[in-house]
Amino acid sequence: MKLDNDLEIVDGLPILYVRRLDAIVCSDLHLGYEGVMAERGYLLPKVNLKRIKRVIKQASEKTSATRMIIAGDIKNEFGKVHFEEYNEFRDLVDFVRLELGINAVTLVKGNHDNFVDRIRPGLGIEIFQSEALLEGILFFHGDGMPQTKGFGAMVMGHVHPAITLQTYIGVREKLHCFLYGKSRGGANVVVLPALNYFAQGVGVNMEDIGEMAPVFRSMINADSMRAIAVSDGETLDFGTIGQLRSLGEQ
Amino acid sequence: MIEYYAGAFTKEESLGCLNLFIRKWFESRYKELTPPQRYSLKLIHAKHNILITAPTGSGKTFSAFTTVLSELMNMSLQAKLEDKVYCIYVSPLRALNNDIYRNLTMPLEEIYRDITIPINRITVGIRTGDTTAAQRAQQLRKPPNILVTTPESLAILINSERFLPNLKDVKYLIIDELHELASNKRGVHLSLSVERLSSLIGHDFVRIGLGATLSPLENAARFLVGYSGGKERDCYIIDATWDKKLDFSVVCPVKDIVSAPDQIVENSVYNMIDRSIKANRTTLVFTNTRSGTERVVYNLAKRFKYGDEIAAHHGSLSRETRLGVEDLLKKGRLRCVVSSTSLELGVDIGTIDNVVLIGSPKSVSRAVQRIGRSGHSFNDVARGEVVATSRDDLIECTVMLDAARKRHLDTFTTPMNALDVLSQHIVGMTQNRQWAVDEAYEVIRNSYAYHELKREDFLSIVRYLAGMYVGLESRRVYGKIHYDEKSGMMQKTGIAKLIYYLNLGTIPDEVSVDVLTEQNQWIGSIQEEFLARLKTGDVFVLAGKPYRFEHSRVMKAYVTPAPEQIPTIPPWYSEQLPLAYELALEISRFRGEFAQEVGMSLKQNAAAYRAVFTRKDWSGSILEGMPMDNYARNSAFNYFAEQLLLSGVVPSEKLMLIERTHDDEGERNMVIFHALYGRRINDALSRIFAIMVADKYDVDVAVNISDNGFVLVTGADFELRRGDIERLMADLSNTDVEDLLKRNIKRTEMMKRRFRYCAARSFMILRNYKGYKISVRKQQVSAQILLKAVEDMDPDFPILKETYREILEDVMDLPRARRVIADLMEGTLKYRIIDSNVPSPFSHIMITFGESDVIMMADRRKHLRELHRQVLRKIKEMNK
Repeated sequence: MKLDNDLEIVDGLPILYVRRLDAIVCSDLHLGYEGVMAERGYLLPKVNLKRIKRVIKQASEKTSATRMIIAGDIKNEFGKVHFEEYNEFRDLVDFVRLELGINAVTLVKGNHDNFVDRIRPGLGIEIFQSEALLEGILFFHGDGMPQTKGFGAMVMGHVHPAITLQTYIGVREKLHCFLYGKSRGGANVVVLPALNYFAQGVGVNMEDIGEMAPVFRSMINADSMRAIAVSDGETLDFGTIGQLRSLGEQ
Repeated sequence: MIEYYAGAFTKEESLGCLNLFIRKWFESRYKELTPPQRYSLKLIHAKHNILITAPTGSGKTFSAFTTVLSELMNMSLQAKLEDKVYCIYVSPLRALNNDIYRNLTMPLEEIYRDITIPINRITVGIRTGDTTAAQRAQQLRKPPNILVTTPESLAILINSERFLPNLKDVKYLIIDELHELASNKRGVHLSLSVERLSSLIGHDFVRIGLGATLSPLENAARFLVGYSGGKERDCYIIDATWDKKLDFSVVCPVKDIVSAPDQIVENSVYNMIDRSIKANRTTLVFTNTRSGTERVVYNLAKRFKYGDEIAAHHGSLSRETRLGVEDLLKKGRLRCVVSSTSLELGVDIGTIDNVVLIGSPKSVSRAVQRIGRSGHSFNDVARGEVVATSRDDLIECTVMLDAARKRHLDTFTTPMNALDVLSQHIVGMTQNRQWAVDEAYEVIRNSYAYHELKREDFLSIVRYLAGMYVGLESRRVYGKIHYDEKSGMMQKTGIAKLIYYLNLGTIPDEVSVDVLTEQNQWIGSIQEEFLARLKTGDVFVLAGKPYRFEHSRVMKAYVTPAPEQIPTIPPWYSEQLPLAYELALEISRFRGEFAQEVGMSLKQNAAAYRAVFTRKDWSGSILEGMPMDNYARNSAFNYFAEQLLLSGVVPSEKLMLIERTHDDEGERNMVIFHALYGRRINDALSRIFAIMVADKYDVDVAVNISDNGFVLVTGADFELRRGDIERLMADLSNTDVEDLLKRNIKRTEMMKRRFRYCAARSFMILRNYKGYKISVRKQQVSAQILLKAVEDMDPDFPILKETYREILEDVMDLPRARRVIADLMEGTLKYRIIDSNVPSPFSHIMITFGESDVIMMADRRKHLRELHRQVLRKIKEMNK
């Protein structure tokens, strides 16, 4: 689904394609999640990386992109680099570069990405500490406020946006979605859904996302953003968060 | 061999087995042997396993302990009594344990007064979750000869390296309230603990089961004794249930419960309870739910100025409060105690001379058990009244009491091969020592609940516990056991010990949420999961009245009264028991017979039928001999007359009524199936129909499930027509319903809840990790994450398999649901479809109460597009 002449949702996938950069963009992978959960007493089967690879492969095939940008939270642990994270990080980068032939991999660090610089040597990826302005488009994670000025579009993650819906007979669904709209200053804004397999998603029509992402306190009116759900191969535009919110309150 | 023991022993034969001091004490206290004692003293003396069922007050517990005390006294006199545990007594109720302790120590005191020579005295100790660290240390230094405990504490004890040596010489195991254990996973858990104990100490012991009656008793006995080396252990059954006389009937608060306004019914109910309290010395009231208990106490106090002479007793109250109430009862200081179900079991509560049941206890056995709490000794007559609170309740209770008079009992089944409970024990076993898996398998198969366990299922659990399903290196650290497939040996891991202690048990965590009006007036409570399903504007019934849900805030739900509105979502209480199948059938049969009688009366006197039902003389009616008062008879008559006049038909055991109707706003279409089989069968039937409809017409279908039937709910866009229903019925004959359910159970909401239960029981999600309690909400989130991951990974994953099993075998009653379907196909059960503008009287209960679930269409993408269309339409309407 085309958002404008430059930005496009790769149909049915939680991946954005940026024409001007010939890049696919994703965020919130939280690699190594299962290893971290094991330490908390939960033994989860390893499925996150497998699914991420599948999704990226599909997006690569559909777009033939030559570049991949990760808008933060490639890994999960705050305080250290867990060895599962290290293994999966390397595995993913190798996969993207060697198997998919996407050589340019860019990571803009998120709040979970402490110490990733230590993994970089030998991987040949480009790392930005908190934001990257690439041909007028600002990529940043979304946990803070962007410092760069004068961008025409902004792409972020962090929120894990989803919408919660209910039908008359009581079917309840939570669907991961993109948020798309304009900032108060007139820039195009895209919030990416989480690529992590285990992410539950934050119900943007039920909760105040300004608490998580400060840009929604001042720069952007969350209720004016459109929620575009991607699930099971479908891409469905549900209109603005504001309208979905008042529907729930009826 | 399991057999009933015929022919009681004489008094001399029985007492002749006893140690002289014990005998002397016994004869000084009791003139007579009670019915169970006429069997038990001699049989236990001869080291037979026995199962005794008898009502409360029949000296059941003492019938087991007398012989045990006598044997221990003999040992003591021969100076052979050491500081070891010789007898373990297990009851599911902590409260019961305190009684037993008192009831054992007091006679011992009296007996020792006669003994002047210095001997080792018999000691008794309690071990429950309430036992303090100091007491536990004391028990380790000087173990009690008789250990009084609970299933959970026993499971911990057999894993206590230091305490285990004290259990080496156990000779007797007494399991009390066996009827509360034989039908659920808590009991299954206990049965494995018992087999593990026997294996750990290397010998068998005499097993004594005590309980209220249940059917079939042979299976209860098998549950008690299990198997040894593939052979069923022997057990004698002694059924003394019916030796106590019962006097009971259904009373109706108003002349006509059908037309009386709710307020009048409520007032009359309280007036009746008040009269009943005043006419007796001590009255015990049962309400079925905890919030009901609070409400009744509150109302009695407010309306009739009762003070400290009435009290509440239920599981949510603190232990101190409960013990205080029990103590006041024993001292005769209370006129009335109101209980949910907590006083149903055999806690010693002194003399009760009157029992009042408000609403149906849902099973004949339970009714008998509750009413049996009145009358002190087995010679007294137990008296009880069942107050009907609604018209369906009235019919149900009447048929129930009639069945009790005829001694028709409900049947039970034991959950078989439960893989989640098994997980816990395998972790426990590896904590004891290293095992060859086949050797462990043999021990497990000694339990009745696992006798038919397949080896591959057992191994799948071993592999699961070893974490073989995760592709993680760290599983060697975080697995719950180590398993070496080559050598077939399994052993403990370091982290599992704490997990085992902190997460052991089978009762799932549930959280209830208070329901308040906007003025902060407390109305009752609902379960957190039910709250999660509510959306603003939903109407549901609580404490007998409809309320509109407004919003929720941190564990509180706010509502406004919505009188006269039809509920949009039925509330659901997991504490509410399903109606027993046998009783359901009797009610259906009664419906058929009584409808004929009412139909005849209406024909004779159609114009003035209202005059008919106020009659005083019921001779010739089938109600004449039923245990009910005349108000109840009037109300029953009127209820059936209304159903006949409004819809022309009363459903019965030969006729399933199917009613097509819709809600007030026309937003939801409903098809109501009058299928009175109890919730376990309707759980299966309703989902079978819903899946078929969802698949055939590509729609989402909601179901409301209750004891009296079920409702299929669809949106405004789709309506099941007459012909559609007929085609569904025809399709049933070539549908493998078991396969249909198995394949589609994952599409239900129930799957999510039940998976959490099973995952918690098998330590897949934890309720407590390293000493930190994990909230139910967090558990639910983890469970959902796991469910998705394991479904993707392996559809035969053992914990998934157990969830399916629990749903299909424990929650649902699939074999009987199939029987109903077969009857429909063969035509022995007919069905009739009617259209009604307003739901018929018999269907109200199915709309206002029950469990709800949703079956989504199988095509996920189509479902999402449909959801999208609905949301956009609603937004468009909103913007108009």
